[in-house]
Amino acid sequence: MGKVQYCMVIDLEACVGCSACDIACKVENNVPASFAWSNHIIETVGKFPDVKYRYIPTLCNHCSNAPCVAACPTTAMHKLDNGITMHDPSKCIGCAACRIACPYDVIYFNDKEPLVREEFLEPLIPECTSSQPGIQKKLGVPVGYYNPEREATLPGIRPRGVVEKCTFCDHRLAKGLPPACVEACPANARIFGDRNDPNSEVSKVLAKNHARVLKPEKGTEPNVLYIGEF
Amino acid sequence: MKMKLEGQVEEVVNKKVTRRGFLKGMGGLSMAALMAGSPMLKYFAMASPEEAQKELVSKWIASTCQGCTSWCPVQVKVINGRAVALRGNPYSKANHGEICPRPHLALQQVYDPDRIKVPMKRTNPKKGRNEDPRFVPITWEEAMDMIAEKMMELRASNETHKFVLFRGRYSYMRDIIYSALPKIFGSPNGISHSAICAEAEKFGAYYTEGYWDYRDYDLENTRYVLSWGADPLASNRQVPHAISIWKKVKKQAKIAVVDPRLSATAVKADEWLPVIPGEDGALATAIAHVILVEGLWNREFVGDFVDGKNAFVPGKTVDESSFKENYTYGLVKWWNIELKDRTPEWAEKICGVSAEQIRRVATDFAKAGPYAISWLSPGASMQVRGGYTAMITHALNGLVGSTDHEGGVVQKTKVPAYSIPDIKPYQDEMAKKNSKKPKIDQRGTLHFPSLKKGKSGGGVVTNNAADAIIKEDPYDVKVAIAYWANFTFSCSGTDRWERALQKIPFFVHITTHASEMSHFADIVLPAAHQLFEKWSFLKSKQNLYGYASLTQPVIEPMWDVRQDETEIPWLLAEKLAQKGFDNLYRYFKEQFKDPETGKAPTNSKEFAVTAVKMFTRSCWDPTDKNYGKYGEKLKGWADFVEKGVWNSHRFKPGKIREKYKTKTGKFEFYSLTLKEALEKHAKKHHTTVDAVLEATQYTARGEQAFVPHYEPAYRWGDPSEYPFIFFEHRSRLNREGRSANCLWYQAHKNADPGDENWDDVLKINPVDAQKLGLKNGDKIKVVSPTGSIVVKAKLWEGVRPGTVTKCYGQGHWAYGRIAAFDFHKRIPRGGNNNVILPPDYDRLSGSTARHGGVTRVKIEKISQA
Repeated sequence: MGKVQYCMVIDLEACVGCSACDIACKVENNVPASFAWSNHIIETVGKFPDVKYRYIPTLCNHCSNAPCVAACPTTAMHKLDNGITMHDPSKCIGCAACRIACPYDVIYFNDKEPLVREEFLEPLIPECTSSQPGIQKKLGVPVGYYNPEREATLPGIRPRGVVEKCTFCDHRLAKGLPPACVEACPANARIFGDRNDPNSEVSKVLAKNHARVLKPEKGTEPNVLYIGEF
Repeated sequence: MKMKLEGQVEEVVNKKVTRRGFLKGMGGLSMAALMAGSPMLKYFAMASPEEAQKELVSKWIASTCQGCTSWCPVQVKVINGRAVALRGNPYSKANHGEICPRPHLALQQVYDPDRIKVPMKRTNPKKGRNEDPRFVPITWEEAMDMIAEKMMELRASNETHKFVLFRGRYSYMRDIIYSALPKIFGSPNGISHSAICAEAEKFGAYYTEGYWDYRDYDLENTRYVLSWGADPLASNRQVPHAISIWKKVKKQAKIAVVDPRLSATAVKADEWLPVIPGEDGALATAIAHVILVEGLWNREFVGDFVDGKNAFVPGKTVDESSFKENYTYGLVKWWNIELKDRTPEWAEKICGVSAEQIRRVATDFAKAGPYAISWLSPGASMQVRGGYTAMITHALNGLVGSTDHEGGVVQKTKVPAYSIPDIKPYQDEMAKKNSKKPKIDQRGTLHFPSLKKGKSGGGVVTNNAADAIIKEDPYDVKVAIAYWANFTFSCSGTDRWERALQKIPFFVHITTHASEMSHFADIVLPAAHQLFEKWSFLKSKQNLYGYASLTQPVIEPMWDVRQDETEIPWLLAEKLAQKGFDNLYRYFKEQFKDPETGKAPTNSKEFAVTAVKMFTRSCWDPTDKNYGKYGEKLKGWADFVEKGVWNSHRFKPGKIREKYKTKTGKFEFYSLTLKEALEKHAKKHHTTVDAVLEATQYTARGEQAFVPHYEPAYRWGDPSEYPFIFFEHRSRLNREGRSANCLWYQAHKNADPGDENWDDVLKINPVDAQKLGLKNGDKIKVVSPTGSIVVKAKLWEGVRPGTVTKCYGQGHWAYGRIAAFDFHKRIPRGGNNNVILPPDYDRLSGSTARHGGVTRVKIEKISQA
């Protein structure tokens, strides 16, 4: 066996554009509401009544030739042996060079306190409803649904002043589980695996289908590929 | 500073994360830099060592999502007592382990900082939208005492019928609070939300095949899906099943979606038929016309001409004796009375869909029959004249023989469950007498036949209760309790509900959030969240499997909440007993026994579990007479709790068609069942069927009333003043209007085609927008004859010129600080469609007519984007 290269194939024919992936990702990775490690591009084309709607799920492409890694002055953004583009917030100086270098707009910068919602600082109705600090006091976590399992390989919540992005749920892969978006997809439109393993499902799917990547002209060699038409 | 922070860290990590691990996780980051500025950051969780991860106790526990009425069996991942994720229940054969986006959102409901923690009492006696209720916390003891006191006043004055129980969403524990409570107390008024939901749909299936319920669809084997406003990839029903199988369906079948909006399902279809709202009936009758003229009806189901020659020639009547029917009744009558002139060319001018497309869809649909689905939804039936549209669209299944057929539209497998024990022995004279008084919603009056299951006044007219309360007709309501409902938001003509609630002297609201309805309450009782904190069960069906799915407290309740349908009536019964009326309490104590131990419940929590066990006994108790009769044999209560779902046998089509529960026993194209119902209602009011039709806004007269037929759309507003037809649609992220305070709802709203994140947009065709000088994001006022809202304009090609559309769900002025733009000033985020939708009805089914372009609107630009 050679080196592992993780890869995700998204079947646009199966995808119905429901956004369960986006939300499940936020749940799993404690992602602030304003960020979207898992996201989508939408467009409506044509004129009534000949109208087409397209929905393309997006996430970090974990490029083999990753411009974010090349741009990072501190090696905070780096490649793992399995092909994942990983970020180490302890080395991040918050310069955002990676964000600028990424052609896919999938890296987010924490310019304020993560997960803090000013709306929720005080109780809505005094003594009758809670507040975010009230929930924190009761449960000892930043938000009630906080997932501590994310802490296995990354700060559970990334601090102010650093960037964050999709990690292919490396902490789940370590337990033999697929990324959260893959598990959450009710259309089973996401196939995940090692593209260097000819027996993996992704390899088989890629062999049978014409797969495309986003912005091939950038030469980034993405490891998120698309098959089928929405 | 540093010392203090470290102390906080220790407090927070609560022995789960060692200090060494925490600091290691911090890496090179300065602790002070991280912690400075925010009190919240003391709860900052950082990477923890492997040992700490091992200390996490993680378990998946079964429950049920009630974000829509698919009612999917789900599992909740609970780590150290907190719910952190959701997935489909793998034991379920209905959704086979898949879920749509909605269950994930529920996490932000149960842990919503805006949830009500404790019972609240109003201290401002003045009620009104612009009055601050000035709620203060009280104990459950105090709250129940006040409610019981008010109820006892009604007993003292022999006015128990002036008590109303409003029910919104429910579980199958519902009859305890909705039926037993009012009836034993002495009131006829259990007023359900059902008629703002989808009753008009059921009207279609009932008056053709005698089935008052939602249908199931054999997507697995179908070759054609003809959707009438149904959007199963986004909203009701069976969303995850539809999503998971859609690729297969698209491969093996053609999909045609009738919808004035390019819906989530229309974008994944082969044909989009952008019908003019409310004119679905023209399209559907034309499809039926084509099927007959082209000789494409299903011979096995419908029968044939005696001589085998097709005599269905446009414009020509047919001799009834020339056709011999099999499983159907009245085909030739239907043709002669209604269909013979309904050509595609005629329909094109009315419904806005080309004759060519009508022919193609009709032909393809019929050729695929009986492996074809005509999928009726609220969109095509919850209209002022939608009852008949429901009948036509369902009758298409009759024409192609796809009803009760593989690959078609089917009924359901029984889910064996018990309801509440007999209440009669516990009703005293006052209760018996007063609970027979007319209900507050005026059902069964001349103008509101509400012919559920053939009975005049058989069904609720939810939205009319507001007017009846305002007019005190048939009487004045004095005490009301509403649970899991928000009629001041969810019913069209919201202003009437504000006035009605203002008028009720004592109103109690059971809710998770301080909603638009709570705003008018004297007492607000905090409810347990159905998915995470409550014992109950649901009955539903998807994928041809019926199922019973449990909800259970998967976490300790977040706050001082109680279960709405069981605990609260128990607590109330205790209080009423203390005050001298113990019938309800005795009923609960004497009639509810744990099926395993035979023990009576001793407190509210035990009562909740006991009741679920009793009602679901057939699913898990080997000693029950129905055990294993209709499906799985679960091995006892613990097994049911573990698995969370009981699955029926797969439904086998083909038996029901042998004897439909109609007047004729056949699938009725000429509905003798409806004829009898209408005649009975007319007789009750000493008038004619024609007069009933006139009183209910229908145009049909004579024989046409008994066949599925075209009725012109009914709209409010003069076209010269209100140039646009307004229609609304549903969101794939709506948890029935209860998810707008979830950040994720707002952050992902553009998953609804045409919509925008963190916004509420009126979608308008660019051609129309240009005429009005509107650009994307312009702030606009949308004005109907009954109300106005302020939203943003969105130029979108997915909506028919001349019509404008907006999603339901936004426009809360209460509910929380995300849902409302400014909760304290009562400024909504976006606009609630129900403010501009006039309160009108399909009076034959009692349904609220929220669809079909019931109103026209005008658009005024307020400011540039």
